[in-house]
Amino acid sequence: MKRQNVRTLSLIICTFTYLLVGAAVFDALESKKEKTQKKKVYDRKQELMNTYNLSQFNFDELERVVLQLKPHKAGVQWKFAGSFYFAITVITTIGYGHAAPSTDGGKVFCMLYALLGIPLTLVMFQSLGERINTLVRYLLHRLKKCLGMRRTEVSMVNMVAIGFISCMSTLCIGALSFSYFEGWSFFHAYYYCFITLTTIGFGDYVALQKDHALQTNPKYVAFCFIYILTGLTVIGAFLNLVVLRFMTMNAEDEKRDAEQRALLSRNGQAGGHNHMRCTPDLPSSSSAASGCGGGSGNSGVGGAGRGLRNVYAEVLHFQSMCSCLWYKSREKLQYSIPMIIPRDLSTSDTYMEQGEAFSSDPLHPLHSNGCICSMHHPHSAISSVSTGLHSLTPYRLGHSKRRSSI
Amino acid sequence: MKVQNIRTLSLILCMISYLLVGAAVFDALESETESSKKKILEQKRNELKKKYGFTQDDYREIERVVLQSEPHRAGRQWKFAGSFYFAITVITTIGYGHAAPGTDSGRTFCMFYAVLGIPLTLVMFQSMGERINTLVRYLLCRLKCCMGLRWTDVSMGNMVLVGLLSCMSTLCVGAAAFSHFEGWTFFHAYYYCFITLTTIGFGDFVALQKKEALQRRIPYVAFSFMYILVGLAVIGAFLNLVVLRFLTYSTQEGTRSLEVEREEQAAVPKRPWGGKAVEEADVEASARDRFCISALCSCMCFRLCACDSPFPSRCEHSGCHSNPLFYNSISYRVDEASCSSRGTSAQSSPSSGALFLGMSNSHTRRKSV
Repeated sequence: MKRQNVRTLSLIICTFTYLLVGAAVFDALESKKEKTQKKKVYDRKQELMNTYNLSQFNFDELERVVLQLKPHKAGVQWKFAGSFYFAITVITTIGYGHAAPSTDGGKVFCMLYALLGIPLTLVMFQSLGERINTLVRYLLHRLKKCLGMRRTEVSMVNMVAIGFISCMSTLCIGALSFSYFEGWSFFHAYYYCFITLTTIGFGDYVALQKDHALQTNPKYVAFCFIYILTGLTVIGAFLNLVVLRFMTMNAEDEKRDAEQRALLSRNGQAGGHNHMRCTPDLPSSSSAASGCGGGSGNSGVGGAGRGLRNVYAEVLHFQSMCSCLWYKSREKLQYSIPMIIPRDLSTSDTYMEQGEAFSSDPLHPLHSNGCICSMHHPHSAISSVSTGLHSLTPYRLGHSKRRSSI
Repeated sequence: MKVQNIRTLSLILCMISYLLVGAAVFDALESETESSKKKILEQKRNELKKKYGFTQDDYREIERVVLQSEPHRAGRQWKFAGSFYFAITVITTIGYGHAAPGTDSGRTFCMFYAVLGIPLTLVMFQSMGERINTLVRYLLCRLKCCMGLRWTDVSMGNMVLVGLLSCMSTLCVGAAAFSHFEGWTFFHAYYYCFITLTTIGFGDFVALQKKEALQRRIPYVAFSFMYILVGLAVIGAFLNLVVLRFLTYSTQEGTRSLEVEREEQAAVPKRPWGGKAVEEADVEASARDRFCISALCSCMCFRLCACDSPFPSRCEHSGCHSNPLFYNSISYRVDEASCSSRGTSAQSSPSSGALFLGMSNSHTRRKSV
């Protein structure tokens, strides 16, 4: 079966299993308390009905009124500040539900608003997240330089660590502020921040609902909005760093399959010839493949935990044979036809020649077979062919930076 | 300023204006209704207080009890079915809030559960969405073939259209079903499906809360769960088709410019042959182009030859047999570019430039860090 199908099926099974396990645990944790609380509330209700001599009908009437008044308890929800708060909860998909449109016109507009707003917000947060990651990478690089460290490249592990720390501090800062302003315990405020910034947004805890804060405390209101948007950016940056790559895995495999099919469906002789030249590279490519397969760490050749990635990378690398081949031919060509070697080629050749000088360069480690398979390089060149033609663009991306599979 | 920075800043400005406009419109739509409703309800409350002779404290007590009993009105929320429902709302980030963990240990577990579950679900839905899109593309290609169309390529427009239709039908099917089972109007049921499948999840309308459905109506419960998950897959497929490229696009841009900077830093002092001027890049590019075409994988050369042959109307020679994706993939465009560039080498630059910048590519590029 194709790899993409296997991957998709396993993910589906994984998710179902995860749901089942989660359901079982939540059942175990919450069921008992629910039962006891339900009984308690029911008993209290009966008491009240007796005390005030209320029939069930009367009580139902009261109940209706109380429940309908509930959203109004927290103050005016739809003035500009409240509407802005609501608009945030819509386009970020948090959706507390503390205020929900009651008019049909409001519902219709809400749907249309979400239709355009949600993709806009997704793209915005990822864009901003990528900028932040780039900035952090740069700052870390400079920091390492200033600290006089030998290896100043910024690895994936560094980035993930920093991302994780920033997420945790964002949550803690929010927890502190909201526990102070809303009078919640630190744990509940942390829980609120977490549920908000993951956009789950239960609505069991909602900020700006006490003491008519939306109308009377504009500074706190501004802080809340800024906190939510900034926090989502930080989380978005972390997701951009860690999760986004996995979302495009299937599409890239599909593309690679298509290219391989094209490769294999050509004329037999030419194919055979190419294969002959390619095959001897395969064994030596394993080391590069494992290096290519790695997407993290500073080590050049694949480490212990990368067995599975090697399999991926090896197949990818077979496909990338053509480009490596190309570079090898170029290397040979460079000595015979120096005039037609464009600048880009020469640069990569210098990389090959001056490998040592470049080992300190964070993004271009070399491998024994001369392939410039950069595992660190945050570049997503997909295929040899596209690489070749990309270099024709004004951006002058001469080097084939092989993208690691994972 | 760099393109990415400009883009990011404009997106931020866009979003802020979008929020301001939205807030103004919601204010205009809902504010009046809210204040009039509030007035009416408060009047009613005062009437009832007078009727039963409640003091403020009495009323407050009753209010407290009513609010506490509210989540229990809909039945047991934390038995297995209810917990499963809750788990779905957590990892899909819908988060109705109809049931929220009451114990601190429940809340803690909920947070850990979400940390692992949300990325898993995101990746799962995108993975499934991509498979769905590929299948649809294949089926559409075969359909076009069967209908005897000459041009059996599946364009992006086709895919977006099919995606839109499937999203609309998913919402309508859900609306019809839930309006029947829950007794909502079609419009409210549609609104519920929309709010659910976009994972906003207000919780003003929640399925499975009437007549103890979670315990009593198992088939309906199963239907609801399947609907939510399948609906999210359909929406996810549409997002995968349309939005994902923009999410990875800015990331590619960033890494590309990083690369360019590094290149410029590294290339200048270390050129072994005393350097070719940057201005000569174009000449070199065309030379490279020729070199590229001839020395690159012979498969591509073969493809160039095949490019010239006329397309018979049989499907085997079009994309159906291999992969329709191929024809939207970068390889195909490269072929086209290469084919056309035999005459004018300059042509491949803009096409590949357009390709690079092209937001119309149906393939997605993954960034690697």
